[in-house]
Amino acid sequence: MNATIEKYTPKLMVLPTFVILLIISLVPLIYVLGISFTDSTISKPFNDFIWFENYKKALTDEVFGDSLVNTLIFAFVVTTIQTFLGFVLAFAMQRERKLSGVLRTLALLPLFTPPVAIAMIWRLIYDPNQGMLNYYLVKWGLTNAPIAFLGDKTLAFPSIMLADIWQWTPFCFLLCLAALQSLPRDPYEAAMVDGASAWYVFKRLTLPMVAPQVIVIFLFRFLIALKVFDLIYMLTFGGPGNTTQVASFYIYRVSFKQFQTGYGGALSILVLILISVLATLLTKGRELLLKRVE
Amino acid sequence: METNGTFEIHAEAEEIVARKDVSYYVSHILFGRVFRIVLLLLFILAILIPIVYIASTSLKEPIEIRVSGALLPTGPITTINWIKAFRNVPLVRYLFNSTVVAFFSTILVLVIAVPTTYSIIRFKTGGWFFPAWILGTYVMPPIVVSIPIFAMVKMVGLQNTLLGLLLVHTMANMPIAVWLMDSYIRAIPKELEQAAWIDGYSKFDTLRRVVFPLIRPGVLATGVICLILSWNEFLFALILTYGVQSNTFPIGISRYVGEHGLQFGEMSAAALAGIVPIYILVFLFSRNLVEGLTRGGVKG
Repeated sequence: MNATIEKYTPKLMVLPTFVILLIISLVPLIYVLGISFTDSTISKPFNDFIWFENYKKALTDEVFGDSLVNTLIFAFVVTTIQTFLGFVLAFAMQRERKLSGVLRTLALLPLFTPPVAIAMIWRLIYDPNQGMLNYYLVKWGLTNAPIAFLGDKTLAFPSIMLADIWQWTPFCFLLCLAALQSLPRDPYEAAMVDGASAWYVFKRLTLPMVAPQVIVIFLFRFLIALKVFDLIYMLTFGGPGNTTQVASFYIYRVSFKQFQTGYGGALSILVLILISVLATLLTKGRELLLKRVE
Repeated sequence: METNGTFEIHAEAEEIVARKDVSYYVSHILFGRVFRIVLLLLFILAILIPIVYIASTSLKEPIEIRVSGALLPTGPITTINWIKAFRNVPLVRYLFNSTVVAFFSTILVLVIAVPTTYSIIRFKTGGWFFPAWILGTYVMPPIVVSIPIFAMVKMVGLQNTLLGLLLVHTMANMPIAVWLMDSYIRAIPKELEQAAWIDGYSKFDTLRRVVFPLIRPGVLATGVICLILSWNEFLFALILTYGVQSNTFPIGISRYVGEHGLQFGEMSAAALAGIVPIYILVFLFSRNLVEGLTRGGVKG
């Protein structure tokens, strides 16, 4: 008896997680795939079997197309800026031991602030009438009239990106810092002895050694940025027009505001395929890149 | 290769020092102390300004807010916004709901994630597939599975209950918990456990008595992170709860947009009421949190 339990202990240890993964990923995916072929609504799941009608509709749905493009633009822009800033800041902090304790703690604040609260803060900052940004822009004579940042078709999306950059740059900063601190010291000592310029040491030593890890940070952050939802929901609700419409939010709107769960299901499947392809390509791309560096 | 590279660098570096050309001086400024300090101070300001702004707005007189969006209050400071926020909205109830959901979901996550991660790493249970499945689940946008999750929670009659939401949070946080625990468990020398097995410990006892005491910092970091993630979680709370009895803090304050018009002072106070508990946790456990995040973050 005991021996049997002992033998199966490793399997028993993962069993709950296995069940959980079934409940939150496999079963839901099968369900979503199922309803994506039906004309379901939220109150009538698995209503009429309509084969690929939802998918056909999705392919001609301009808003959906725009939302995909927006999602990719959003993820790419914020991730690039966050990784770059995070790296530069981490690099600058390496030799400032006094600031490092303070900054590490401070860096956690934006990261862990509830996204809904972050959205609220930035809503106040951007507000045309009472917000801080317009107050100073007008006061310092940079604009004549207040700007409706979140109501402007060209400014709304960058404004949301800025809030996201505020939230996530510290995360990239912490990861880049850890990456920089994990580098071996010997090559630096050799270069130091020779009096090589800082730029030179950076270009020839730091960058090549740290690049593989920074690429991982970029990829990781990119995949998470594709999930963007909370900020859009709170700041613009996809508007004005559909200029800040992103995939997650559009699926939410179709499924839970227009109650077309069948169509929402089809969109979900398409987004999932896109993300899987993207994730595979990016990981493969990273491997190729690393081989080249070697 | 190592020596070769170092040698090349020696030679080129000497040349640059001898030349003292433009790039030498540019790099001197770019990598100089002044530039570094300015950069870091700007970073600190950028982090703090939005937080200071919302804190100061919550303390400004409503009349002042209407005319001045200045970073710091210029007029008298007041607590009226805080009083109004707690009076006009059932904030206490939202915060209570969030606490219940975050606390119990975190306990459940830890109880399940620690043995799972241990088993995956030490016994390679599930081979390559299981860890990949876990990571894939983490990367998948939650909206994709929101329709069936909603349907399942409704099917078992747990919609609009704290229990329903806390179970969903438990499941949703499981992948990240396993991923955070991973590096801590990996760091334990296998010999230690083998010694325990030889002494007659069962696998489970080894985990409980030998491994667990060693990974306590990891369990703590993972716990605090899961607690905060649950407290902050928006999408599932949005679709699974629709009444005061089960709305969590993020849903509660999201109501401010729209329903109450834009009451800036009140909004700020309400938002801060949910931010402050998190910041206290962050300050208490900052070392642990940084370690937990960065250990997992830069795995190749």
